[in-house]
Amino acid sequence: MAGAFDYTPAIVLLPFLSFLLALGVGRSMPKGGALAGIAATGGSLLLSVWAMLAVANGGTYNQTIYTWAAGTGNSFELTFGLLVDPLAAMMLVIVSLIAFLVHVFSLGYMNDEGETGLPRYYAGLGLFTASMLGFVVANNLLMAFMFFELVGLCSWLLIGFWFREEAPPSAAKKAFLVTRFGDYFFLVGVVAVFATFGTAAFAGEGSFPALAEAALAGEAATEINTFGFAPQTWFTVVGLLVLGGVVGKSAQFPLHTWLPDAMEGPTPVSALIHAATMVAAGVYLVARMYGFYALSPTALGIIAFVGGFTALFAATMGVVKREIKQVLAYSTISQYGYMMLALGAGGYIAATFHLMTHAFFKALLFLGAGSVIIAMHHNENMWDMGGLKERMPVTYWTFLAGSLALAGIFPFSGFWSKDEVLYEALAHGLGGTPLLLAAWAMGLLAVFFTGFYTFRMVFLTFHGEPRTDVARDPHGVGWNVKAPLTVLGVLAVVAGFVNMVPVAKLTGAHIEFLHDWLAHGLGGLTSEHYGELTGQFAGYETGYVGSELTTVLLSGALSLGLALAGAGLAYKLYNVPAPVEHTDRLGSVKTLLFNNYYQDEYQVWLADTAARNVARGADKFDQGVIDGVVNGISSVSLFSGSRVRRIQTGVVSNYAALLTLGLVALLLGIGLMGGWFL
Amino acid sequence: MVPAQWYLMLSAAIFCIGLFGILTRRNALLFLMSVELMLNAANVNFIAFSLQWGNVTGQTFALFTMALAAAEVAIGIGIILVLYRNFRDTDVTKATTMRW
Repeated sequence: MAGAFDYTPAIVLLPFLSFLLALGVGRSMPKGGALAGIAATGGSLLLSVWAMLAVANGGTYNQTIYTWAAGTGNSFELTFGLLVDPLAAMMLVIVSLIAFLVHVFSLGYMNDEGETGLPRYYAGLGLFTASMLGFVVANNLLMAFMFFELVGLCSWLLIGFWFREEAPPSAAKKAFLVTRFGDYFFLVGVVAVFATFGTAAFAGEGSFPALAEAALAGEAATEINTFGFAPQTWFTVVGLLVLGGVVGKSAQFPLHTWLPDAMEGPTPVSALIHAATMVAAGVYLVARMYGFYALSPTALGIIAFVGGFTALFAATMGVVKREIKQVLAYSTISQYGYMMLALGAGGYIAATFHLMTHAFFKALLFLGAGSVIIAMHHNENMWDMGGLKERMPVTYWTFLAGSLALAGIFPFSGFWSKDEVLYEALAHGLGGTPLLLAAWAMGLLAVFFTGFYTFRMVFLTFHGEPRTDVARDPHGVGWNVKAPLTVLGVLAVVAGFVNMVPVAKLTGAHIEFLHDWLAHGLGGLTSEHYGELTGQFAGYETGYVGSELTTVLLSGALSLGLALAGAGLAYKLYNVPAPVEHTDRLGSVKTLLFNNYYQDEYQVWLADTAARNVARGADKFDQGVIDGVVNGISSVSLFSGSRVRRIQTGVVSNYAALLTLGLVALLLGIGLMGGWFL
Repeated sequence: MVPAQWYLMLSAAIFCIGLFGILTRRNALLFLMSVELMLNAANVNFIAFSLQWGNVTGQTFALFTMALAAAEVAIGIGIILVLYRNFRDTDVTKATTMRW
C-alpha cells in the first residue's frame, strides 16, 4: 500500500495546478475555470481517501521531500516534507471534500448569478485549497508556517473578491492584518523552536516534541538550549508564542474581530474559510504539535480558558445579530472556542472529533445560507425573510439538520462531539484542575446561547409568514446548490456516529471508532501517548461524579438539556407567524452585544493611542538616530570629496608632477624600509 | 668592455632629461619627444644588461620597445591633432576643461 503515499504530493499539487490554469487561461475556459477546480479538488479527494485507506491499513508516512537550505556542521536544515498519519489523513479528506463541494456550489452561487472576475475567484479557491492541504501534510513547523501564511494571503484575496465595493477590501485588510499580528508571534515561536531544538520536525525520534519530552524526563537535556530558563518554563513560552498564530487564525479572543467582517466575501468562500481551511488551521496546528503542548500545564490552562471564554463570549454576540451570515460567523468563533477548550482540557480526540463534525455542519450551514441568499437576491437580513420553508424544502431540511448539529441536539453529529468536549473538561476539572471547571462552566453556558441563536436563525429565516415580497417569491436554486447541501446534510446527521462515547459507555459496545483511529499511527503522535503526557506533565487526572458512567450521562444530559432549553426559548419567541425583536427587551445589554462588546472600538482605540505613540517614537528614533548616523557618514564623504577633488586641475603637467612625486615617495619608502640608505 | 654602471648612469641621465621635459614644457609635441627620451633610456638599460650577461633577450626587448614607441607616437600625434583642432593651440596648460 506504499503506492498511496507516493501520490500524496499530488493532493496538494492538483489544486495548485487548477490555480495556475484558472489564473493563466481561465478566461478562455468554460465556466471561468470552475471545471478545472472541480476536477482538481475531486482528484485530491480521491487521493485523500486512498491515503486514508492506506493509513487505516496501518501505514504512515513521514518523509522529507526537499531540503532547500542546509547549514554546515551541526546546524539545522530547512526542509519540505510530508507527514501522513491518522490525524492528517482525516483532515485531508475533510478539507478536500469540503473544497470539492464548495467548488460545485460556486457554480450556482457565482456562475449562475452572472458574477464577473470568475477566473480570479477560482484561482483564489484553488490556491486556498492547495495551501491548506499543504499545511495539513507539513511535517515540520517551518513548512507549516509558510503554508499558514499562504492561507492568510488567500483569505485576503477571496474576502476582498468584490473589491469595487467599499466594505470587502476593508474587511480583507482587517482579516489579513489581525491574523498577521498573531502570526508575528508564531514566527518568533518558529525561530525559538529552531534555536532551542535545532529542528522543527513534528514526528520521529529527533522531533521537537520528542526532544522536549526527553528533556523534561531528565534525559539528553544537553542537546537543547533553553536560554537559561527551566525547560518547562521555556517550553511554555515557546508554546504560547506559537499559540499567538493559532489565536489569530482560529479567531479566538482577543483576535476574533476579523472573522465577522470576513463575511463580506462570497458565501462559498465563507464556508471554505470557516469550515475547513483557514480557521481550522489554528486548531489543527495545536493538535499537530499536541505532544509539545501536553508538556506544559500553563499553556494547556491558557488554551482551555481562552477557548471556554471565547465559546461563551461569541455565543452571546450571536444572539442579537440581524444577518444570517453574522449569526453563523459568531457561531464559528464559538465552536472553535470549544475545540480549544477540548485541547486545553486534554481532550485531543474530542477536539479532533469536534473539528470534523463542525467542518461538516458549518460548511452545510454556510452553503445553506448561500442558497437562502441566492433566493433572497443577495439580501442577508433575516428580518426580510420568513416562510422560506415551503418554497425551498431541500435547503430547509438540510439547514435544519445542520442547525440541530450546531445546537448539539441528540442524535445529530454536533451533540456527540460537543458532549465529548464538555465531558473531557468536566472529568479533568474534577480530577484536580479547578481552572478547567471554570472553562467548562463557560462552555456549558454557551450551549444554551448556541441553542437559542441557532433556532432564532432557523425560525426567522424559514418559519412564519414571509415578511417581504422577495421572500414570497424567492429565486430558485439549481442542482449545483442542492447536491452539496444534500451530501453535507447527510454527513451532519451521521458524522457523529463514528464516536458515540456515551452509548459505548452505556452499552459496553465497542463503537468509539475515532478513538481507535487516532490511537494508532506514528510513535509519539498517538492519542494514548498524549494522554500519558498530560497525565505525567500537566497533572491531568480524571475525576467523576459518582462513577464514570454517571459523569458521562450527567454531562450529556446537562448539555442536551441546556441546548433544548435554548432551542425551546427560541421556539416560543420566534416560531410565530409574525415575530418581533424580543432581544430589544435586553435594553442596553443588546446595544452592547450588537456592538460586539465594543471590541472593534477598543482595538481601534488601542491602535490610535498605544500603537500610534510607539510608532511615532520609532519614527523619531529612525529619523533622528539611524538616519543621523547615515547622514553623518555621508557628509564626511561629501566634505572630504569636495576638498580632495581640487587636485583634479585639468593640467596635464600637474598630473605628471603628481605621478613623479608619488614614484619618488614610493622609492623613498621602499628604500627606507629596505635599509638602502643606512 | 665598458662597465655596466656607466651605461646605467647614461640611462639615468637621459631619463631625467625626459622627465624634466615632461614636467616643465607646455608644448604637447615636446611632451612626445620627452616620452621618447624616457623610453630610450630604458632601452639603453636593456642593451647594457644584455651585453653584461651575454643574453639576447634584452636586445629583443629593445626592439619591441621601439615598435611600441612608434605606435605611441602615432596615437600621440593623433591626440595632438585633435587637441589643436579643439583649442587652436598645442599648449597643454590651455586644455583644462576636464577638471572638477
